This record gives sequence, C-alpha cells and structure tokens, in this order.
Amino acid sequence: MNDYVLEIKNLIKDFPGVRAVNDVSLVIKRNTVHCIVGENGAGKSTLIKILTGALDKTSGTILLNGKEYSARNTRDARLKGISTVFQELNVVDQLTVEENLTLGSEDTFLGFLRKTDKIKRVINVLKSLEPSINPKQLVSRLSVAQKQIVEIAKAVAAGSDIIIMDEPTAAISECEIERLFKIIKSLKDKKVTVIYISHRLDEIFEIGDYVTVMRDGRHVGTKPVSDVKNRLELIKMMIGKTIFESYVPKESMKEDVLLEVKNLNNDKLSDISFEVQKGEVVGFYGLLGAGKTELASALFGTDRYRGEIIFSGKKLLYNSPDKAIEAGIALVPEERRTQGLFTILTIRSNIPVMNMSKISRSGFINTSKELKAAKEYIVKLKIATNTMEKQVSKLSGGNQQKVVFAKCLFADADLLILDEPTRGIDVGAKSEIYNIIRGLSKEGKSILIFSSELYEILNNCDRIFLMCDGRIKTEIKNGPAINMEEIIHIVTGGEAICESV
Amino acid sequence: MRIRIGAKTESNKISRGRISNESFITLSMFAVLIVLIGLASIFVPNFYLLQNIINLVTNSWYLIVIGIGVTFILVTGNFEMSVSGVVAMTGVLCVYFCQASNVSPSPLANGLGLPYGVAVILSLLCAMLIGAINAFFVAKLKIASIVVTLGTLSISRGIAQIVTQGAQRNTSLPDIFGVVGNIFIIGSVKFSIFIMIFFIIVAVIIEKKTVFGRRTYLIGANIQAAKLSGVKVVQHVTVLYLISSFLAGVVGILLASEYISGTSNRIMGAEFDALVIALLGGTAISGGFGSVIGTVIGALILAVVASSSTGLLLRPEWQFILKSVIVFMAIMAQRFAIDRRKL
Repeated sequence: MNDYVLEIKNLIKDFPGVRAVNDVSLVIKRNTVHCIVGENGAGKSTLIKILTGALDKTSGTILLNGKEYSARNTRDARLKGISTVFQELNVVDQLTVEENLTLGSEDTFLGFLRKTDKIKRVINVLKSLEPSINPKQLVSRLSVAQKQIVEIAKAVAAGSDIIIMDEPTAAISECEIERLFKIIKSLKDKKVTVIYISHRLDEIFEIGDYVTVMRDGRHVGTKPVSDVKNRLELIKMMIGKTIFESYVPKESMKEDVLLEVKNLNNDKLSDISFEVQKGEVVGFYGLLGAGKTELASALFGTDRYRGEIIFSGKKLLYNSPDKAIEAGIALVPEERRTQGLFTILTIRSNIPVMNMSKISRSGFINTSKELKAAKEYIVKLKIATNTMEKQVSKLSGGNQQKVVFAKCLFADADLLILDEPTRGIDVGAKSEIYNIIRGLSKEGKSILIFSSELYEILNNCDRIFLMCDGRIKTEIKNGPAINMEEIIHIVTGGEAICESV
Repeated sequence: MRIRIGAKTESNKISRGRISNESFITLSMFAVLIVLIGLASIFVPNFYLLQNIINLVTNSWYLIVIGIGVTFILVTGNFEMSVSGVVAMTGVLCVYFCQASNVSPSPLANGLGLPYGVAVILSLLCAMLIGAINAFFVAKLKIASIVVTLGTLSISRGIAQIVTQGAQRNTSLPDIFGVVGNIFIIGSVKFSIFIMIFFIIVAVIIEKKTVFGRRTYLIGANIQAAKLSGVKVVQHVTVLYLISSFLAGVVGILLASEYISGTSNRIMGAEFDALVIALLGGTAISGGFGSVIGTVIGALILAVVASSSTGLLLRPEWQFILKSVIVFMAIMAQRFAIDRRKL
C-alpha cells in the first residue's frame, strides 16, 4: 500500500459545449482530511460526481489504493470504498436508526432479515461516533446533524476508504458543527480519508490537512493547510487573474426608483432592504444557500414574506406569479428545464406564454401575430434553429436559455429578475446573453441578477449586493476599484473589512 | 432592443416547418382507422354497408362526448375516471326530479314532480357538483387525480344506485321526457349526434384557437413552468373538471331520455373506454400532448374493432381481450412513429 489512497491523473469531463473538468491531476493522502474549494462552476461537484459514479469521465485515470477505479452508481462506489454524505441526506425517515444503518447490506435468509453480528458491529461504530443516538429510534425524530452522523456511521461500517462530505455544515447549527468536526477528526483513527467540500473557508483551517483549489475546471494547486497563510491567499487562488471584459457601470442614476424593498423577512431571509432605479442592473452575489433564489421567489410572489415591496409607487400585495407578471415583473428562473420551459412543446408555443394577450383578442389566438412574434424573437435573440416548430428539448442549453429570455422579454416587463441566467451554458451563449441584458438596460428596464458567478456579476451590474446566510451583508458600487478578495471574503462568511459604498 | 441580425437566423429562413406532432399522430391514427375499415370490409360480412358505417359513428356519440372532457383533463396531466358514474347519476336524478309525486304506492314510481326543464337544470348542477369535488381535491388539495376521480366515480354510481334502489326508474314520466333522446333531425340522424358534432367543433376551436386551450397544454407540459409563467393552474383545472362533468351530465340526460328511464348501471365501465379512446387518439398519459380529433378517431377505431368482432361471431367474452390487444398495438405504433420522427 502506498501513501496515497486516491490518485487522479489527467481527468477530463466534457459536457456539450463545456469542459467541466479540464486535465485534473491530484493525489489524496491516506487518513487525512482533504478539502476542495472553488467558486461555483469550478468543477468540484463534477469531480465528486465522477468519483461517486453519478457521471462517467470522458478520459483520464483514477486509482483507488493503487488500483484502477470507476463506479457505475453510488452503491457501486460504496462497495468499492468511496461513500458520500450528500447535502440531501440519504436516510429513510420511516425506518429506525438501526434499520437505516444496515439498509442495502442486510443479512438475509430466503429474503427474511436475520439479526447477526453485523448489526452489532454497525451499532458499535455509531456508539463510538455519537453515543447519544439510540439505534431503536425512528430517523424522522433525529435532527439534520444527527442524520448526518448516522450516514457517516453507515459509511464507516461499510469499510469505506474515503468518505466524501458535500457541504455538510450548510444546514446545521454552530454547536452541531463543532460536534461534526470532532467526529471528522476521529475518523482518521478509523483509517478513513475525508474529502471535504465547503464554501466556508474558515472551516478548512479548522479541520483540513490539505486543501485543493479548483478554478474553471482546472486544478490550481494543492497545499498542506498549515502552509496557507490566511483566507486571502486561498481567495486569490480561487479567483486567479481573471481578465474581465471592460464593463463600465452606468454613472450617477437619476433618482427614479422602480422597486423598493423594505425589511423583507421569511424563514430563509432576514431583513432585506434595497432600492432599484429605472434602467439599473443590480447584482446579488452569494454562494449556494445564501438566499438568492429565495429572495427572487419572494419578489416574484412564489414565496411568502413579511415586509413591504413597493413597485412603480404601488405596494405589492400579491402572492402569485400571475399577479407579478401583470404588475410588470418577469422571472428567468434558476432551473430552465424544470421551471422555465415547456420542453415538449415547440419554440413557437413557448415564446408567448407569459403575455398571451399580445397575440390574442378576447381569448382567441391570432395565429399570424403568434407566428410573427415567434419569428421576431428567434431573430432578435439569435436562437439557432431552422424552424420555429422545433421542440425546445432538442435545442442546446444556450439556445434553451435564449427561449426562456424570449418568453420574459415578450412579457414586456419593467423589471426582470434573472436567477442564475447563464448556468450551464457555453461561453459564446453567455456573452450573447450579456449583450441582451445590456440592451434591455439601455431600453430603461431594471434588471436584478442573482448569480453565484462573480465574473457574471462584475460584467453586468452597476451595483452589487453581497449575500450570505439570507442577509444582505454589504452593498458595493461596481467599478475598476473593486476588491475581489474582499467580496469573496464577505460571501464566504467573513465580516466586512470596511464599508465600500 | 437593438441586436444585429445574425447570419444563422435570418428571418426568411425560419420556416413554420412540418406539421406538428399532434397532427402527425392524428393523421397516422386516421390511417390506422382506414386500414382497419378496409380489413373489416374484406373479412366481415356486410361490414362495408353505408348504414353499418353510420351506425359506428352514431353508436359512439356518448363515448365521444365524455371523451372530450377526459381528453382535455388528460392533456393537463390529470385523470378523469368519474365520467360514467356521473352519466348514470345525472340520468337517474333527472328521472327522479321529473317523475310525478305521490302517484303510486311503489317508491320507485314516485319522484319530485318538477317540470322537465327544471329537472334538467337541477341534474346538470348535480353533475357539476361532482366535477367541483374532483377539482377541489385535485387542483386545490393536490391529491392524485386517479384516486379522487375513482372515488367520485364510486360516489356518483352509488347515488344512482340509492335513488333507484339498485334497479331503475321508468314510470310516471311526462311525455316530454322522451323527446330529446329520440328526436330525429335529418333522416335517421338523432339529435344526440348533432349535440356530439356541436361539442366536437367547440372543443376543436378551444383546443386550437384559444388562450384557454393553449394554457391547458402548458399545464400538462410543465406545471411548475406554467405557474411561473402566470397560468392560474388551480382555476384552470377546476374549469376543466366542471366542463367534463357538465358534458357527462348532458350525456346522462340524453341517454335517460333515449331509454325513458334512469338506470343505475348505465354505461358501466365507459370511463375506461373514454380513457382508451383518448390514448388511442394519441393523447399522452403524462400530459401536454393530445387532440380532440384524435379522440374521435380513437372512438371510431374502438367501434370498428368491437363491431367487427361481433360480425365475425366472436363470443362476446373474447371481445375484451381483442379490444386490449388492439389498444396495445395502436399505442406501440404511436410510440414507434413518434420516435422515428425527427424534427
């Protein structure tokens, strides 16, 4: 046995139009806690998905304990020695802790369960990790943190060499985090290597032995955590020397307020207040779970909230999207396939759906108007298709996203809410969408961009709100003087160094 | 917005393209129907006679009318299994409301003695009450539509049974009761056929030409995206269930009039046939796809199969199996055709 439990060599993963993992070579030392950090879209999750068998690699080799490794699915990966504790926990609420621990690896006789030593062994593992959990308890009674521990115990009992933890602290409280860290440290004695994914940089200094930074699908560097001076050094590695297209933010706005949000609160958001002027592009930057989508949903009327939203001088009292659209707000949702598009329908039938009155009279559709509209928007947004009767599911990601934009533009809204407007699309389509956004702003439309890609925010927005834990941490004006290190510092949970408004 | 027109998408190059998948499936099912009629004409004695073909259509009228409502609801991705129960219940209630009161010692011969018009309106309202129950549980409380509508199927059939004590009511009815179901408009074409044609035309216009029809497809294609695009999904599905139960109510009244009786087991099992003809016509069980014309063709295919099996002197108990074999074959043919069709 050599020193390295996992060796990744020249790993490549291609998606249509995007290389998500680009020639990554990486070794992970046995019995350590190895952290992987990077911005969203840096390729971390793709890498993890290849390790757990959710995705196939395009090329490259992975050696586990010196032997060639590939997994067909998560179960296969677990049998081969790599277990994962996912953010969405994989426990069955209706079963007891004990039943969950042995689920999928029960000893049976003719299909009947047998009580064997295996159960005792698994329970002992759990006891050694966390004695307070009663094995006879129903899992539905456990807290999220306790469920995590059950999953970890299951992975340890299965004899895993590696346990991957994907953002394990995202949904648990401070003292639970401490307990989790204690357990992670104790795993080293059980001959388990932990691959730890987190956006919270402070955690890496607390539990990590090694840290790997990824950016744009590439492996930027791996260092022992003790060699890393401070979070700023990590942040620099994460953002690198990205060359930004020169976006010149619009100067001094006329005081012509379109949207005013006062003390917005719900279970995911606390005390959100801001104003947006006409023609302004405002960015909301934060990592996953910062509350961006939740804020977008509240503004669009799909989530409940306390507080006030004043739009065009009128207080909005609605709680449904149809009223929001009527008022003049349109949303490009986070997930285009499940929330934005009717993929089994044609481009022509997708485009007018948010504003049917524009192509109809007293409920009857005017076909020639509909065809004209479809043609107009296909040309305007350069949707690559030879016919407007093409099923949307047969378009590429970038063209699908353009159809979502066409839908929203057709609504003639004054305010566009864009939630991750370029997620998962290629660079060419991205810059086309940025051009659309700029064109809209010139027309005097106000735009809110919710994004976890800093590049996108810096390239399009006049003002930026930094979000973390459901709050707006600070507001900054975009411009050449912007301090990217500080931005990352704040959204990863650091305190604002100085007010830069 | 000013965006330069790219070479790739010059406007004159964007065609309307070929016919839609719905029309394609409808046409191919029409071809299947023609082939089946051809085969039946060769093998089944006297099948080709014009009168026989007309009978095929006229005997399917009630199935087509309830099939229209079922099709629209299937397109939204929901089931409607309560229709045949609603037909029976409406018919029985219409008779009960119309029967003279206190004329006979037999309870089944006594009704409420209401005028015919009032009885019709009241029984239609009762039908739509079942539709409202469906809508409340399916659209508002988000309970699986198959469970809800099978439940209301049972409830409405049960009401019909209670009111008729498990049998039928056919006495002490005014003469006017038997008119609408038996009146002939042109030659041997019944009034009910005109009702069917009327509903088909209205349904096709709604489906193809109205915002309401378009939104029905949006809900079935992606309910989440439909909501976020401003479609009032709860309201829309409610209206559809009300329409469907209204159509079933109309059928119930016409059938009660045709037989001058309200029978508790009227068109037992037709909810299944209504589902089958919609599926035969190409409507997707997962929603977002389908057409009323397809359902009409589906009804005719089913009628050809049923009538030729009778003509071939197959024993009736075998007809069920023959029916399902044809259904499986037709649906597989559709799958095959759609998969081969690349746009």
